[in-house]
Amino acid sequence: MRTKWVSIMCVSLFAVLFLTVSVFAQQPKTIKIGAVYPLTGNIASTGLDCRRGAELAVDIINGKYNLSLPLAKTEGIPNLGGAKLELVFADTKGEPKNGMSETERLITQEKVVAIIGAYQSSVTKTASQATERLKIPYVCSDSSSPTLTERGFKYFFRVSPHDAIFAKDQFQFLKDVEKKTGKKINSVALLYENTEFGSNVGKYAAQYAKEFGYKVVADVSYPANATDVTSEVGTLIKAKPDILMHASYITDAILFTKTFKELNFTPMGITTFAGYIEPGYLPAVKADGNYIVIRSTFALDLAKKKPLIGQVGELFKKKYGVEMSENAARSFAAPFVLADAMNRAKSTKSEDIVKALLTTDIPGDQMIYPWKGIKFDPKSHQNIYATGTLVQIQNEKYVTVWPFDAAPAEVIWPFPPWRGRK
Amino acid sequence: MQNVMTKQFSYIGIALILAIIFPLVVTNTAVQHVAILFFMFAMMAVAWNIMGGYAGMFSFGQVAFFGIGAYTSSFLLISYQVNPWIGMIAGGLVAAFVAAAIGYPCSDLRGHYFAIASIAFGEIVRIHFNNWKLVGAAEGLSLPMLDGGFKDFMFHSSKLPYYYIMLAFLIIALIVCYLISTSKMGYYFRAIKESHDVAKVLGINVVWYRLIAIMVSAFLTAMAGTFYAQYVLYIDPESVMLLPISIQLVLISMLGGAGSVMGPVIGALVLIPLSEFTRIWLGHRGTGIDMLIYGFLITLISMYQPKGVWGFFTNMGKRAK
Repeated sequence: MRTKWVSIMCVSLFAVLFLTVSVFAQQPKTIKIGAVYPLTGNIASTGLDCRRGAELAVDIINGKYNLSLPLAKTEGIPNLGGAKLELVFADTKGEPKNGMSETERLITQEKVVAIIGAYQSSVTKTASQATERLKIPYVCSDSSSPTLTERGFKYFFRVSPHDAIFAKDQFQFLKDVEKKTGKKINSVALLYENTEFGSNVGKYAAQYAKEFGYKVVADVSYPANATDVTSEVGTLIKAKPDILMHASYITDAILFTKTFKELNFTPMGITTFAGYIEPGYLPAVKADGNYIVIRSTFALDLAKKKPLIGQVGELFKKKYGVEMSENAARSFAAPFVLADAMNRAKSTKSEDIVKALLTTDIPGDQMIYPWKGIKFDPKSHQNIYATGTLVQIQNEKYVTVWPFDAAPAEVIWPFPPWRGRK
Repeated sequence: MQNVMTKQFSYIGIALILAIIFPLVVTNTAVQHVAILFFMFAMMAVAWNIMGGYAGMFSFGQVAFFGIGAYTSSFLLISYQVNPWIGMIAGGLVAAFVAAAIGYPCSDLRGHYFAIASIAFGEIVRIHFNNWKLVGAAEGLSLPMLDGGFKDFMFHSSKLPYYYIMLAFLIIALIVCYLISTSKMGYYFRAIKESHDVAKVLGINVVWYRLIAIMVSAFLTAMAGTFYAQYVLYIDPESVMLLPISIQLVLISMLGGAGSVMGPVIGALVLIPLSEFTRIWLGHRGTGIDMLIYGFLITLISMYQPKGVWGFFTNMGKRAK
């Protein structure tokens, strides 16, 4: 009796094994890509946004879609026998040491062939050190610290613009708006939170202010978790700047907006970074956010001039039930760049992918960003075409207003006084 | 008594042999990383224990020493190409000096007041580093990738050297703690912990011995800081000076059993793998369930084993007899 059971067990086990093997043999193989994001912890909601962007990108690469994105019309990666991409997610909790250890784990245990993500620049820093040590390509499209591409790393590539580019954009915008409206701008005030992100923006903004010939009349830094900013705003009012440039996260952006209104701080224009475009900002300040200008790499209203943006935005909304945010749109880029490189390399070997990445040349019409394309600088590995756009909040909506020739809406300038607004 | 001692030593011997063999058997680098973190936090908790568990100074500012250690060696390496091993000693000395400078004026603070002062100290140091341009301010310091090897305190291809170095550091800390606890000084510390005034009346130089405890603790913690910098190769105030690290050290020591040599090690053995593995297994779902489990277990232990896990073991041992 017992031997009979054992033999039945053995036979069925073999059958199952055989079936799985044959099923695997028929399916094109999958290629694993590691994605490190802050999926829990205090910026988990941003991490989720990034995750969704990357997931949608992989869906489009793996399936058949009638979109002008790279590899959208074919299933999987054609030159690798239609191999599908699979994202393996890892949680960093936003801590640099986890960025390192999770990247190492993904590479050594999960056998991923490339890494994307990290969002926070400090985490990207340690994660990319791990890929550099283990010689695995890393394509980043969501961290904006300029230092990341100043290290001369061989395996690290960045698709999106960094803070120095964003800072330069804002000054270019000031020059353009001066020409357009004929209103002279003389001085700027710099306001920034004091972690790496804000202080970097402050540093580059000061540098570009000099280059573009504007006088910096105030240079104010503050901790992002401040609960009262009356004295900071007081300093700004005293300095009487024409323009306020503000680099913030979200809670401080809300606090400052309320304090600006309360103390009636009305410069000619307020141009900002990051915090003012997070999904939670507008619901918190409503109409008080109007007329503020923010840097962005993406805006859904660009769909008027670039239908692809609308199509992708639609897919995103259908899948997740929310509008595609800027963070999701940024993370959306990296899987395409990697898939395109692997397709041209016809290989998933690290050295081959890196070689292919160096010859990446994706034209602008195959992307959802307002750039000329994607092409990496041979030394720094920064995308040389990456630029930002500027959006302005008008009627409690983000509309793209700069560069003027590509923007669907007109900028409202100067900033109307707080008192007497409807 | 003799018997108990030899028994304890044989347990420690077995644990040591296991620790040495472990990474040779388990080659999974993710697990090795967790083990390295375990040693690192255990070492810092042992250092905390000298101050908190023995001398009764509940420090919530320990992370400042960790950060000072990390920053000193990294800064010296980047700006003056000083070897990290020498940098580590320098970091320890700087931390001990700072500890003395802050410990002296605080030498009359007791209980809660000391804890509050230590939080303030940790935060002041963090804010200062966050704005100090010379050491990279908020941007932090990125360590250069040296060739690698024991001389450079940097290893690129394998985690084993980091593992053994950190294990050695932990053993050093344990030996220091053991020597203190069995010496006269250890008894002075306990006396101070029980009652400041009684200790004073007994003729113990309270200020002096408290300073010694703080300085030894700071030196050891700073060593771990240098190790962290050499291991992760990037430091900023957000990752090496944040209050939660201090709290974690207190938690580890209390959970394991403060005031015993091995208690903090046991605490770290429970808490560090717990938090790391729950994140690795469950974190990627983004549901935060790992934090829930972590918190639940801490609550359980503190409800049913307020003396710490080490207390649980010693109780078991007594009952068995």
